[in-house]
Amino acid sequence: MKWLGLVSALLLALLAALVLGPAPVPLAELWQSPIVRDLRLPRALLGLLVGGSLGLAGSSLQSLVRNPLADPFLLGLSGGAGLGAVLAIALHVGGPWAIPLAAFAGALVALGLVFRLGLVGGAELDPRILLLGGVAVGAFCGAVMTAIVSLAEATELRNAYLWLWGGLSAASWDTVRVTALCLPIPVVVLLAAARPLDLLALGEEPARHLGADVRAVKRRVYLAASFLTAVSVAVAGVIGFVGLIVPHLGRALVGGRHLRLLPAAFLAGGTLLVLADTLARTVVAPRELPVGIVTALVGVPLFAILLRRWTAY
Amino acid sequence: MRRWAHPTHLAVRFVALLGVACRGAAPPPGGTGPLVLTDDAGREVRLAAPARRVVSLAPSITELLFAIGAGDRVVGRTVYCKYPPAALQVPAVGDGLNPSVEAIVARHPDLVLLYRSAHTDAAAQQLGSLGIPTLVIRHDRLADIARTARLIGRATGRDSGGQAVGRAIDSLLAQPLPPVRARLALVVWDSPPIVIGGGSFLDELARRAGGENVFHDIATPSATVSIETIVARDPDWIAVVQDSAGDDPPAFSRRPEWRTVRAVRDGRFLLLPGDLFGQPSPRAREAIASLVELLSQQPRTTRHSSP
Repeated sequence: MKWLGLVSALLLALLAALVLGPAPVPLAELWQSPIVRDLRLPRALLGLLVGGSLGLAGSSLQSLVRNPLADPFLLGLSGGAGLGAVLAIALHVGGPWAIPLAAFAGALVALGLVFRLGLVGGAELDPRILLLGGVAVGAFCGAVMTAIVSLAEATELRNAYLWLWGGLSAASWDTVRVTALCLPIPVVVLLAAARPLDLLALGEEPARHLGADVRAVKRRVYLAASFLTAVSVAVAGVIGFVGLIVPHLGRALVGGRHLRLLPAAFLAGGTLLVLADTLARTVVAPRELPVGIVTALVGVPLFAILLRRWTAY
Repeated sequence: MRRWAHPTHLAVRFVALLGVACRGAAPPPGGTGPLVLTDDAGREVRLAAPARRVVSLAPSITELLFAIGAGDRVVGRTVYCKYPPAALQVPAVGDGLNPSVEAIVARHPDLVLLYRSAHTDAAAQQLGSLGIPTLVIRHDRLADIARTARLIGRATGRDSGGQAVGRAIDSLLAQPLPPVRARLALVVWDSPPIVIGGGSFLDELARRAGGENVFHDIATPSATVSIETIVARDPDWIAVVQDSAGDDPPAFSRRPEWRTVRAVRDGRFLLLPGDLFGQPSPRAREAIASLVELLSQQPRTTRHSSP
């Protein structure tokens, strides 16, 4: 029943994203219209993939660091991606794909740094060190980025921040294809880690006694979830709240077992982002709202309602 | 924060505006006596004498100072002030929207001109408490150029220069609008797509060159929109302000989502040089003429086909 609800909510959100938009498209021409075929459909699919990835990455990371406040961007990736994008703009790297590629590279560098920090001193990806390392690397990248923006004279740089706020405006069939190609491996890695993640919830020592290869699981989950986040930030910037709230929505809906939680978080994350983006495109048309604002406006009340059921999970 | 919206202040402001408008009511032009000026924040500013050492914190105001013949009195500018070339000889004091009070004070100014925004209010107050008079100037549209030219003309003792620029802009604004020959969208940034709305001088320049801004209905200077809205409004041209020289279409013209826009597919880009179109400028007539010329060019076919 819950799964039927999740899937139909997603389908309804996708349908709304295709039918609604700032430009009037008659229902009869929906499938012929280039606006729907080349703009709304790829944008809705990208929203599904990015929102789903953030929900999935957020759920896995919250379980990995055993902290309900963990967010995919807390581990330094947004800072790294932003720094990459700003460097690409400041150094006048040309080409239509320069900024997403630079952001992806920056996110991967931050990912590697935090991962390396997490291994320092034999502490095998200690959650506290991962969180602190993530915040530190993110803050450092943010500082370098702000320094570049305020020292360089290129006026384009002032717009670099806009890109960071996140959004799905760069959606095209190319972005959808690239994103879809990047997802299967990390998604499979995370789903395969569902059972060990359940054990990890009991604590590392008990998990080890129950037969989980804690070391390997932590590494795999960290790398796969961070990679998903890096892909998301490269194609859609930093979209807040989805990765923080959706895992809790998922747990409230289907419980804490990861084999159920992870797919539910993917569906719920996709639904939330597609819905939020449809609102962002339409409510103040012809203008558009930053989608991160809408995810918070939609997600937080939903979250508040479910918080009342906190004791249920 | 100064409460300038009080009714008596508004009345004072109105009277002072009349004073600026009627030359007879103003103190003798180019004189050395004390001046009372009202800036665009409605503040009354007293100067013991016309300013001799002026720091300008906006590129458009720096250009205007040189245009009214007060360039020799400019002792500080922002790093973004690049026009006229003579302005580059003036020491830069940093960023205009996030001004460094210390760097400004080091130039020993007797007047600081700030662009009006929430960021500059604090700096204006700090400078005021150091005894340095400031004028806060709202400078966004063509009519603002005329008003600002007269204001800073009086402030620097170059009244006739200010009046001349003011009259030139007034006569430009008094001309009837030409018929619309083409519809265009002015794109500032591609991801997210940001366009120029009706509340901007670029919108005015385009209209006076016979180009109608398809986003004229958006009242703010600029706004984020969906590409789908641009497709639906179907402009004949995409106008882009470019800082760097070059006649290559912008990189986003090769992005597949942008190629759903007819003007992008057809390579119909108007590349506007930043030094002429990047700020409200007394060279508005020149900008309009160059836009008229650009609008009559033949669209070139793009070399990059859709993937």
